Amino acid sequence: MARVLGALAVAPVLGGAPGPGAASVAEAQPGVRPIPAVRGVAVDERLRDDLGVCLGDRVVLLGRPGDGRDSALADTVRIDAFVRRGADPSEVARAEYRVRLHLDQLQRLAAYDNRVDRFAVATRDSAATERVLGAVNEAAFGFRAHRSRDVAVRTSRTFQVVQRFHRAIGVITVVASAVFLLCILLLKVDERRRDVAALRLMGISRRTVVGALVLEASLVSLLGSALGLGVGWAVTQGINWYYQGVYRTPLLFALVTPGVALFAVTLSLALGVGAGFLAARRMARTAPLALFGR
Amino acid sequence: MRLALAAATLLRHRTRTLLAVLGVAVSAALLLDMVMLAGGMRESFRDLLLVRGYQLRLSPKGTLPFDSDATMERAAALLAAVRADPRIVAVSPILGGQLHVLGAAPDGGESGPAATAFAMGLDARVQGDYELVRGRHAVAGAELVASPAFLRATGAGVGDTLDVAAGFDPQLRQYAGRCRAVVVGEGRFFYTPGEQPVAALPLATLQAMRGEEGRDRLSLVMARVADGADVEQVRAELQRRVPRVSAISTATALAQVEQRLSYFRQLAFILGAISLAIGFLLVTTLVTVSVNERVGEIAVLRAIGVSRAHVVQQIVLEGSALSLAGAALGLALGLVTARYLNAILGDFPGLPAAFAFFVFRPIDAWRALGLLVLSGVLAGVYPSWRAASLPIATTLREEAVG
Repeated sequence: MARVLGALAVAPVLGGAPGPGAASVAEAQPGVRPIPAVRGVAVDERLRDDLGVCLGDRVVLLGRPGDGRDSALADTVRIDAFVRRGADPSEVARAEYRVRLHLDQLQRLAAYDNRVDRFAVATRDSAATERVLGAVNEAAFGFRAHRSRDVAVRTSRTFQVVQRFHRAIGVITVVASAVFLLCILLLKVDERRRDVAALRLMGISRRTVVGALVLEASLVSLLGSALGLGVGWAVTQGINWYYQGVYRTPLLFALVTPGVALFAVTLSLALGVGAGFLAARRMARTAPLALFGR
Repeated sequence: MRLALAAATLLRHRTRTLLAVLGVAVSAALLLDMVMLAGGMRESFRDLLLVRGYQLRLSPKGTLPFDSDATMERAAALLAAVRADPRIVAVSPILGGQLHVLGAAPDGGESGPAATAFAMGLDARVQGDYELVRGRHAVAGAELVASPAFLRATGAGVGDTLDVAAGFDPQLRQYAGRCRAVVVGEGRFFYTPGEQPVAALPLATLQAMRGEEGRDRLSLVMARVADGADVEQVRAELQRRVPRVSAISTATALAQVEQRLSYFRQLAFILGAISLAIGFLLVTTLVTVSVNERVGEIAVLRAIGVSRAHVVQQIVLEGSALSLAGAALGLALGLVTARYLNAILGDFPGLPAAFAFFVFRPIDAWRALGLLVLSGVLAGVYPSWRAASLPIATTLREEAVG
C-alpha cells in the first residue's frame, strides 16, 4: 500500500542516534550490501496510531510540503518498525511525529547533500573526552564539539524551570496542609477537656495526662500519614495514567519516592506531637473544674 | 446582635480562630494564584499576538511562527496572494536569521564574531514586532534597530556603526553577506526573550545578506484583517489558496499554545479545587467543633425564645466571617506569591519577555473571593442545621447533669 503522508517533518538529527540512521552508514557503503529498491523506515507510535499504518505498509515521504509523489524529493518507503519515544521531559509538549530513516535516504530527501547535523562520539573515559574535545575544537573546520553533559544541561532547562515551579507550589501546599493539620490536632485534643478533667480529679498526674494526649495525637498523625500515603500513591497512579495518555509518553509525571514519603510522615508526626503537646500542656494546667465548665 | 454573638464566639478561642484564618488565607492565596494561572496564560498570549493588531500569521507548512529555521520560498508570489484579498488591510513580511557582529582582532585584523544576535528583516512601515524606545526605524540600506540586550552584548549605542554579517557557512567559514550597519534606534521586541540580543534590519538588506538562503524567502507573514471581516473565514480561504504555508489565526494559535501549555491549566484547576476543598474542610471542622462545644448555650438560647433562623444565621455568619477574613489576607498573599511564581516560570527558555503566566485581573480576585465566601457559607450549613435541630429539653438536661 502506497500512501502520501503529506508534509512529514524529517528527523532533526541526521543519523545522530543509533538505529536505522546509524545502521545505514554501513549499508550505504558501495560493494558491502546492495540497497533495496524500497527501503525500510521506522516510525513512532504516535504516527502509527494517528495514521493507522501497519508494519509492511508502503508510504511516500516528501521532503518538501506540497510536492507530489513524483517530486525529486519524494521517496516510497516500507514501514519496518515502530519506535517508542523515550521518557524525555524536554520533549513532553512536542507533538510532532518522528520518522527514522537511513542516513543517505534522509540526506537525499532533505536535499542535505553529504552533510549531517551532528556526530555522537563515544570515548573511553572522561580524560579521553577532554582530550578529544580540546583537539576537535582546536583543529576542526566548521564545527564544534560539546560534552553530552553540557548539551543535556542546556536542553533540560525547561524541565528545571518546571521543577522549580513545582517545588514552590509544593511549599505553599505544605504550609496550607500544616496549618490545617495543626488546627485539627488542636481541636482533637481540645475536645477531650472533660476526660482530662475527670482524670485530673481522679488523681492522675499532669505528666501522665500530657503523655497520653501526645501519644494519642501521634497515633492520629501516624494513621493519617499512612492513609495519606495510600491516597497519594493512588493519586500519582491516576496522574501518570492521565498525563501519559494526554502527552503520549512513558514519562512518569508524579512519583511517591521514599524521600517524599519520609518527609510527609515526619512533618505530620512533628506537627501532631507539637500541637498535641501544646494543647495538652495548656489543658493540664487548667483547673479540672474549669475544664468541666464550673 | 447576631454579628456580636458570632464575633464573641470566634474571639473566645483566639488561637483556633487565628489558625483557621491562616489556613484559609494560604488556601485563598493558592486559589487566587491558580485562577490567575488558568486564565492568565491565554490572556497574556492573546494580548501579545494582538499587540499590533495582526490577526493572521503565515508560517512554513506545519510549523508555528519561528518554531524552526524553515522559511517560505517564492515570497513575492506569497505576498501578492495575501494582498489580493481585499479584506486584508495590512501585511507585514518578516525574515529571521542569525546576525554576527564582527569584532576586530588586537593586531587590527578580523577576529570571530563578537556577538551573535537574532536578526529580523522587516518592513518598518508595517512591522509589528517591536516598539521604538528611542532613535528611528531602520528604513533602508545598512541600518538596524537593536534590542537593549543587543546593545549590551556589543557595547554599542544608537548612532554607532557595526561590522555585521549573516549567512554563515560553517564548512567554508564564510559569510554570505556582510556590511557596516548603523544602529539607528533601540526597540523593545515583543516576541523574543528579554536576554536575547535582537536586531531589526530592512527586509531587503537581510535577504541580500543571507545570500541564496534568503533570496525571495520569508520566515513569517503577518496580516491584519479589516474590522468586521470574519478572520477565520479569511484564514480558511488563504489556506486553501496557498496550501504550501500554514495559515494561523489568533484563535488557532491560542488553541495550539493552550494545547502545549494545557498541563499548567490542568494543574491550576486541580490545585485550585484542592485549595478550595482544604479551606472548606477547615471552616466546616472548626464551626462544627465550635457548635458541639456550646450545644448547651444554643439550647438555652432556643429555650428563651431565640428562633431557629437566628441560630442558623449566627453559625453561618461565623463560617462566613472566618472565610472572609482568611480570603482578604489570602488575596494579598496570593498577589505576592503570584509574582514569585511568575518570576520562576519567566525563566522558560525562549519565552517572550512580555509573556506572563500569572495575570491579575479584578475578575479573578472577585471569582476567588466569591468561591471562598460561598464555601464559607456552605461550611456553616451542616453545623447550623445540627444546632437548629437540637432537642431543647434533652440537651439542657444532658448539659446540666453532664
